[in-house]
Amino acid sequence: MKRTLLGSLGIALFLALWQAIGQFKLAGISWPPLSAVLDMLSDASRLPLFRRALSATLASTAVGYAWGMIAGLALATLAHLLPWLRRGSDRLAAVLNSVPSIALGPIFLVLLSRDSTPAAVSSIHVFFIVFVSTSSGLQRASAAHRDLFEVLGADRLERFFRLEFPAALPPLVSGLRLAWPAALIGAIIGEWFGASRGIGILIINAMQNFQIVLLWCAVMLAVVASLFFYGLLTIAERAAYARFG
Amino acid sequence: MTRPLLVRLVEDYWGVVLLLCAWQLWVVISRFNVIVMPTPTAVLRDLLSHPDVYLDNVGVTLAVAAFGLVAGMAVGTGLAVAAWFSAITAGLLNPITVLFSSVPVVALIPVIARLLGYDTSTVLAIVVIITFFPSFVFASSGLRSAPPGSEDLFRVLGASRLDLLRHLALPAAMPNLAIAFRLASAHAILAAMVAEFLMGTSGLGYLFAKTKSDFQTEQAFGASAVATAISAAAFLLAGRVERWARERYS
Amino acid sequence: MRPAERAIVLECVSKRFPLPGTSGGLLALSELSLAVGAGEFVAVLGPSGCGKSTLLRLVASLEKPSTGSVAVNGAPPGLVSARHALGVAFQDHALLPWLTVRDNVALPFKIAGRHVDAPAVARLIELVGLAGFGNARPKQLSGGMRQRASIARALVLDPEVLLLDEPFGALDAVTRRQMNVELQRIWSERRITTMLITHSVDEALFLADRVVVMSGRPGRIIREVVVPFARPRDPEVMRSEGFHRLVDELTSALDS
Repeated sequence: MKRTLLGSLGIALFLALWQAIGQFKLAGISWPPLSAVLDMLSDASRLPLFRRALSATLASTAVGYAWGMIAGLALATLAHLLPWLRRGSDRLAAVLNSVPSIALGPIFLVLLSRDSTPAAVSSIHVFFIVFVSTSSGLQRASAAHRDLFEVLGADRLERFFRLEFPAALPPLVSGLRLAWPAALIGAIIGEWFGASRGIGILIINAMQNFQIVLLWCAVMLAVVASLFFYGLLTIAERAAYARFG
Repeated sequence: MTRPLLVRLVEDYWGVVLLLCAWQLWVVISRFNVIVMPTPTAVLRDLLSHPDVYLDNVGVTLAVAAFGLVAGMAVGTGLAVAAWFSAITAGLLNPITVLFSSVPVVALIPVIARLLGYDTSTVLAIVVIITFFPSFVFASSGLRSAPPGSEDLFRVLGASRLDLLRHLALPAAMPNLAIAFRLASAHAILAAMVAEFLMGTSGLGYLFAKTKSDFQTEQAFGASAVATAISAAAFLLAGRVERWARERYS
Repeated sequence: MRPAERAIVLECVSKRFPLPGTSGGLLALSELSLAVGAGEFVAVLGPSGCGKSTLLRLVASLEKPSTGSVAVNGAPPGLVSARHALGVAFQDHALLPWLTVRDNVALPFKIAGRHVDAPAVARLIELVGLAGFGNARPKQLSGGMRQRASIARALVLDPEVLLLDEPFGALDAVTRRQMNVELQRIWSERRITTMLITHSVDEALFLADRVVVMSGRPGRIIREVVVPFARPRDPEVMRSEGFHRLVDELTSALDS
């Protein structure tokens, strides 16, 4: 109880500070008051623009998320079942993660289409996180458990489905939760390389046309997109730990 | 019994090599103009023939990333210590930090650029922002991970809160801080690059942007390759640091 | 015992812990009175959950009594702790993993803000039988050795009172026996006022001047036995008839 009270107070203070800085121009014209940003967000004439941008980015993020999740799960499972693949796939994933996202933009632009690039960049971000969490998750089953299954006569696949995969679920779901914001960043960066609409486009346009309030609106939209599945994924994470932790 | 170096390298990097070969093959078969997509060999050639261009920019990006990493970790740890001292501060800070973590950093780049200017200070600020949150989270849990019974011991021995921080909580937090360091080091370099890309000042990100728009695609890819290399190297090095910290402090 | 000779005094002490979901909470100790004389070694025996650890925590200033009073050499435990005059060893040895044995034993000096008395630290390390292990880290030591280090740390500031909460509880029976003999030897050097919490009857009888038996929750004192064996005590004494008789007496008191 006390914690939620303090938390709400903290957020309230922060919002009040934001409004004050903007109102009294303490940071120049680049920091508009919260009220101005909220006004523009609720402006009926701009609503279609915001809606289109938000849905475009959410769509790319979701697609990238799905692909990255499948790829991460698949490679981690494969590397787990075929141990000789392990080191190579670890290194490959680490290198892929080290490639700057802005470099991925032009690559995917050539490989795919303009509008698929955001999803593709996003999927790379997700792939690494899901791969790492699944890999370490699959190793979570203790030696004692593994011995038990061996004695009980379970074959490799049975052991995987009944022991190792359930044991991997909690860290996997944690990874899935962390992967969403990363997917979003990937999608936004991908949009800079030629997508037709999205939050990333909105940001670039506002930046180049010096439309400050619009810029801040774009940031707010990005926060909304980031928090979009936060609640659902947090609930899923708690459930996974409760059931399989 | 360590296997010969060559065998180990092949075992570790076959995936990467496969990818590079696939890339080379793809460009050759599709007959891409070098402006659209160069081969890995073309990129390598450019790297070797213009080392000074690359070195200058690597220096800038590395310096900004390193500085920002240290500053970000200091801020994150400092706030974690403040939250440790006072439950009220903790209660106030926690939701704000979660909120901040949900703002995609890339979206903040133009905003910060308007506030701090379109130069290196913005790049630095971005690196600080991206490294501060994991440091805060890991430092917070680390400060509370002292061995069981040790807090009681300190209380009986008549320790002040400051004693507790200096002799117990901070050393106990070191392994966690090392984890945060490893995570943040890779992100620091890449975040610096994205910011440089948008800001267009100096560093690898700027090199990438400029050479891309000038259609010097091999050099653009060269910049990316260098960034990949130093990012991966930083991650590996930080892994060593993390192992050392774990050995020393637990 | 004359009042002036009493080092630890608990007078009509009760301790109630709040329990969510109940109105009364948990009554751990009920109207308990106990006095420990200066230089006396008192062992507190009791079944699990009887509140004996709570008793020690009250003397250690980690808890405050709900009713009654606790005094160490006439002062409230909080004051004694603040002047760094309490020595304590828990079942969790609580050695800091990043410090060497020597630094761990010297820790109380740093906390008290005093200059580290290196010869004193070295003497204690030798006294507890860890000579040569000063530079080792806790993870390199066995369980028994870690407890020795913990006891050395408890003694390093020459405390007014020594509090031991099942220090050998996590050790195997053989090591525990050895540690009992060691502790007796170490204690004989300083004869500090000591309170030992244990659930081992043998240990209590071997080490203490007086053994106090507690009932189950809420904890009260139901029996006191003065230990007749002369000091220094030989491990042989544990095989004597008198010893076995006292073990039986105390065991039946515990079971009641």
